[in-house]
Amino acid sequence: MRTLVFVEDASDELSQQAVVMAKGLGGDVAAVAIDPSGGYAPAAWAQTLVEIAQSRGATAITAPGSERGNEILAHVAAKLDQPMAANCVSVAGGDPATVTRVRWGGSLLEEARLLGSPLLYTSAAHAIAAEPISDVETVPVTSALSELDQAVRVVEQVPASTSGVSLTDADVVVSGGRGVGSAEGFSIIEELAELLGGAVGCSRAVTSAGWRPHSDQVGQTGSKVSPEIYIACGISGATQHMAGVKGAKRLLAINPDGEASIFAGADYAVIGDLHEVVPAISAEIRKVKGT
Amino acid sequence: MLAALLAVSSYLFAVRVRFLVDLVRSAAPTTRAGDRERRVRNEATIVLGQRKLLQRIVPGLIHAFIFWGFLVLGPTIVIAMIGVVSKHATLPWLGDQGWYAFLVDLFAVLVLVGVVSALWIRKVQRPRRFEGSHLGEADLILALIATIAISLLLWHATRIALGLNEWPASSAPVSHLLSHLFAHDGTTRVLERVFVWVHVTTILAFLAYLPRSKHLHIASAAFNVWYGRTGPGGQLETLRFDDPNIPEEDIRFGAGTSADLTWKEMLDTFSCTECGRCQDVCPAFATGKALSPKLVIMGLRDQVFADGAALVKSRDGEKPIDLTSLVPTAVPEESVWDCVTCGACVQACPVSIEHVDHIVDLRRHLVMVDSSFPAEAEPMLRDIERASNPWGKAQSERADWAAGLGIRILEPGEAAPEYLYWVGCASSFDERARATAENTARLLQRAGVDFAILGAREACTGDPARRIGNEYVFQGFAEQNVATLNEAGVTKIIANCPHCFNTLGNEYPDFGGHYEVIHHTEVLARLVSEGRLTPRRDENLKVTYHDSCYLARHNDVLAPPRELVSAVGQTVEMERSGKQTFCCGAGGAHMWMEERGTQINDNRVREAAGTGAGTLAVACPFCTVMLDDGVQGAGADLRVADVATLLVEAGAAD
Repeated sequence: MRTLVFVEDASDELSQQAVVMAKGLGGDVAAVAIDPSGGYAPAAWAQTLVEIAQSRGATAITAPGSERGNEILAHVAAKLDQPMAANCVSVAGGDPATVTRVRWGGSLLEEARLLGSPLLYTSAAHAIAAEPISDVETVPVTSALSELDQAVRVVEQVPASTSGVSLTDADVVVSGGRGVGSAEGFSIIEELAELLGGAVGCSRAVTSAGWRPHSDQVGQTGSKVSPEIYIACGISGATQHMAGVKGAKRLLAINPDGEASIFAGADYAVIGDLHEVVPAISAEIRKVKGT
Repeated sequence: MLAALLAVSSYLFAVRVRFLVDLVRSAAPTTRAGDRERRVRNEATIVLGQRKLLQRIVPGLIHAFIFWGFLVLGPTIVIAMIGVVSKHATLPWLGDQGWYAFLVDLFAVLVLVGVVSALWIRKVQRPRRFEGSHLGEADLILALIATIAISLLLWHATRIALGLNEWPASSAPVSHLLSHLFAHDGTTRVLERVFVWVHVTTILAFLAYLPRSKHLHIASAAFNVWYGRTGPGGQLETLRFDDPNIPEEDIRFGAGTSADLTWKEMLDTFSCTECGRCQDVCPAFATGKALSPKLVIMGLRDQVFADGAALVKSRDGEKPIDLTSLVPTAVPEESVWDCVTCGACVQACPVSIEHVDHIVDLRRHLVMVDSSFPAEAEPMLRDIERASNPWGKAQSERADWAAGLGIRILEPGEAAPEYLYWVGCASSFDERARATAENTARLLQRAGVDFAILGAREACTGDPARRIGNEYVFQGFAEQNVATLNEAGVTKIIANCPHCFNTLGNEYPDFGGHYEVIHHTEVLARLVSEGRLTPRRDENLKVTYHDSCYLARHNDVLAPPRELVSAVGQTVEMERSGKQTFCCGAGGAHMWMEERGTQINDNRVREAAGTGAGTLAVACPFCTVMLDDGVQGAGADLRVADVATLLVEAGAAD
């Protein structure tokens, strides 16, 4: 066995694990990183690996089961028209080789025969202990690239928007339900969220009505949030919504209907019209802040 | 000449039929044995009686005229061929019968009436159900049928004019009337030959064309109906992962390529005539989704034919490995997820195509092999696995609704009650559906029924997992629940969720669970009719009842909930009711998926509001939630309530 291991860099833990797994197969193991100065380009990097593998007569090509490793190896598989097994927890040589790989987010292990030559697989994260890699060879991206190989590449890196706080990370989530009444009605929700440095959420009824994008939806089929406080405005508290709020430390509910089920799980309750209550809270915060 | 034509046509027919039979034989196995009596009855009613076609009376009659016409006219093919050989010969006995000549005359006309009406529908009315069908091909087929019928009538007319008729001219009044167009002369003698040749050659051309066209159903439909499912509509076929009798290569994980289709699924694709009745009743299609059940079947058929040669070749050896994926090539991914498994398409299909099985098989492959399914459904699957319910609530809270009601919770080792009340996740955990659990329990207590609940030992039946395609998770829960129920010695189960009801009663037998499962509306209706519950009827309470798909369409529970509704108030029916009901939008795991565009529940709530009823009665916790959401969304002046709740409000539990 002559195995070529793609590594992201020598210090990358998943890459180190990939090398350990490759050594388990026996034979020569060469760890190769690709010079990133030209920017990440999956097809180009895959083409580079293919050329190295062919020139050295590699009988297996592997990569860590990271997003990048899986992506590059999938390109390698497509270029060589060979099958590839992703996220393997173990690999055994033989004819054919057998792999055990993770399916279903870790809830299933699949045993499979891996056909094809060279063998193509990626190693599942943390399936095997990492060991420092002694020698990683860094190679430049090959010059023999087709237009297609260069079609997908990183052209610019933009940091995640800092203007808004992400729903899932926010310490405060101010969420509106059907009771808000309209897309425009969310201006008071947005105002309160901004004053508290929090994010705006909404219920399924709101996205169904088209008032907010699905990315704002909190619930079973939306985001699961875990803020210090969740402020539910005009939300009845359907099971589907509450499934997304389980992680909130405190729940403040504002609803005109005292019977609404949202109050069952609320730490603080305001029985009243959100259109009066929410602006009043905002005004009070402003007063305290002195703005 | 005739012999040569007959040979060519028969050869072309036979080659194609052989290919089709080989295709079916190459397909994956499925069990359609047994139930002979029911199958004979299906042939008699669905094929000969045209029962499913006549679900729509006008197009149904049109088809029945043509179909019955061809049965009656069948022997005239032989008569005409004999006529080609000798104008003085005919089929012994039948060819001489006046009554038969009359029937031929009558049905030739009825066929023509059928063809003209069909053209009227296609060209003038242009219903939406034909969207996506091959319209040109249909026109050609109608033209061929018309040619066959017209040439037959004209042939008979010329024979009457020439005095060649073996039967009294008066027994064939239409041909007799037409015969006045022809003189007793040489021209007519030529025309008589022309018509009989046109008739016979058209039939032979039709024979050769038929198995290559969408009109193949003439040959395949009777088989497809015979092998149609005879069990309850809501039952899905169990995939066997660990049966030692099944070789590893034959284990199916749904359908990824055409080689994975079962032979019934393949036969389904051959039987589709693109009539679009399925599309017409599909709630997803009706609300502008990508799904059309018709296009699913057509897409699969095109793929089967594209892969045909490879499939046939594979019959004895290994499965072909480089076939195109069915999704998205044959069926767009969106369509696969749009289905609510309501079964309206299957019910509407005149030739017993089982669309839901196809869609679930496509889902199974996407979920179990490709791990590719709508992201928003993932928490549901994870929560079922982790917490035994789709919302991830704590199992310890499952019986919270029962606190203070004095309901017996069946503990391990205790004697089983007469009825186990299977509450289901929705009625246990959903705040809107909980009223159903509470009120059902109070009514059972009031009537003195011996029952208990399982409390924290009850787990999700696995229905949403199975219907989204995750057969692994479903089977795990089926085995677990069957073990719990069998160990407790349960024999009779009351379920208030039609999805649990369907799974427990129709699907658990495959896992060793055999129980008498009844829906809460069934037991409550019996208690009312026996006088053990006495609700007060309020004449001013106007109620419309929404049938749950899994209760009405899949399991034929129609009367009991209606009896209950009429025991508490005045019933108004919606147009789409009973087995023709329109889904609430939650089936097929859609309770845990997002819906794009117009909402199915909105469509349904508007129909309910249109009846003028103030109360929308339901008998399913999913329908309760979906329709209540719909009412709030539409701002309709309707109150959604389970029939059990209506009974309690009518004093039946006092």
